Amino acid sequence: MATFHLQIVTPNRMFFNGEAEKLVVRTAEGDIGVLHGHTHMVAPLGIGPMEVYLPGEKPRLAAIANGFVKVGPESCTLVAITCEWAEEIDVDRAQRAKAAAEETLKAAQGEREQDVAELKLKRALNRISVSGR
Amino acid sequence: MAASSMKDIKRRIKSVQSTMQITKAMELVASSKLRRAKEKAEETRPFFDTLYAVMSEIAEGTKGFTSRFTTPREVKSVGYIVVGGERGLAGGYNSNVFKLSDAHMKGKDAKVIAIGKKACEYYRKSSHPVVLEYSGVGEHIDVPESYAIAQAILKLYDQGEFDELYISYTNFINTLTQEPAIIKVLPVNLEPSGQPAGPGVLTIYEPSPEEVFDAIVPEYVAGILHGAVVESFASEQAARRTAMETASDNAQELVNDLDLKYNRARQAAITQEITEIVAGAGAL
Repeated sequence: MATFHLQIVTPNRMFFNGEAEKLVVRTAEGDIGVLHGHTHMVAPLGIGPMEVYLPGEKPRLAAIANGFVKVGPESCTLVAITCEWAEEIDVDRAQRAKAAAEETLKAAQGEREQDVAELKLKRALNRISVSGR
Repeated sequence: MAASSMKDIKRRIKSVQSTMQITKAMELVASSKLRRAKEKAEETRPFFDTLYAVMSEIAEGTKGFTSRFTTPREVKSVGYIVVGGERGLAGGYNSNVFKLSDAHMKGKDAKVIAIGKKACEYYRKSSHPVVLEYSGVGEHIDVPESYAIAQAILKLYDQGEFDELYISYTNFINTLTQEPAIIKVLPVNLEPSGQPAGPGVLTIYEPSPEEVFDAIVPEYVAGILHGAVVESFASEQAARRTAMETASDNAQELVNDLDLKYNRARQAAITQEITEIVAGAGAL
């Protein structure tokens, strides 16, 4: 299967840099699949799982939150604010973050506070669900 | 006479030595912080570079739409994010970045967003109003924090507090060289670079170009800010280490000089004493 160059960067590190066969990622509009020869596209990312299919390997799963993706026929660049492989996720921490976010959500006064807590909860849930798969 | 000058020299040696202890300690602290800061800067750099490159590529391939982040407005006042240090005693680190910013701000209605305690202090005293202040962020800045700062800055931009935004920070080149720099952040420059995008390069924006830019630009600003703060912090530590190393060396030199003087004075005192005894014995 034809491959394309996939580059994933996060503020903390170069997360992935190499050839991939397929990428499935959650954008703000829903999941998209990227294969070799995809047309040029730019989309903001949402909070959700990401699957990377590498040639001759089992697909790898990761949790991403926010950022954007730029796709071309030969290459795909994903700039993510946070991104973790499923096996790297600290489930206890995610559980704690989930509990804390739920707590704030209950007590939250302003709309802004509620939004922030909701996003935190979403991220925590995403990480829990990705690590559980 | 000799005894009192010896005492003076001794006292000065002591004082220089205690200063040297401080500069030496600061040097050690700065070098250990530098090591960590350097790693962080190197890890962040690919993100910073990719972000910038992707943004320019997107900008180049895009025409015929408007977003509040890409349309130039009539420039009434200009916002400057100035990233300074937390502490002094870092050689020319703080003054270099302030000097560059001041030169750039000259003749403009500039509003300052100060990051770092030294930047806050400096701009409070200057004629340019400070609209936002952040201190104590440099060492442990993380992504959510950069995000929060970027959000606050963008809010001011939306309110029309300033019509252009620049960021001035210090580029960490290596442990001996750090260079202050200013880059334009907003509005995102969509001027095509001269080469027309080839036919067939038609980019899809999901859901729409406007919405894509509205979602991406805050992340872009946060990313640039994060990179600038991390680079600046590494530069601060490197500058301090070099400055403190020089200070320690100078103090060591001074101590050596004073030691020599002290020994001379001691010898002179002994010689004088012998002369006195001999003269006294001769008189008997």
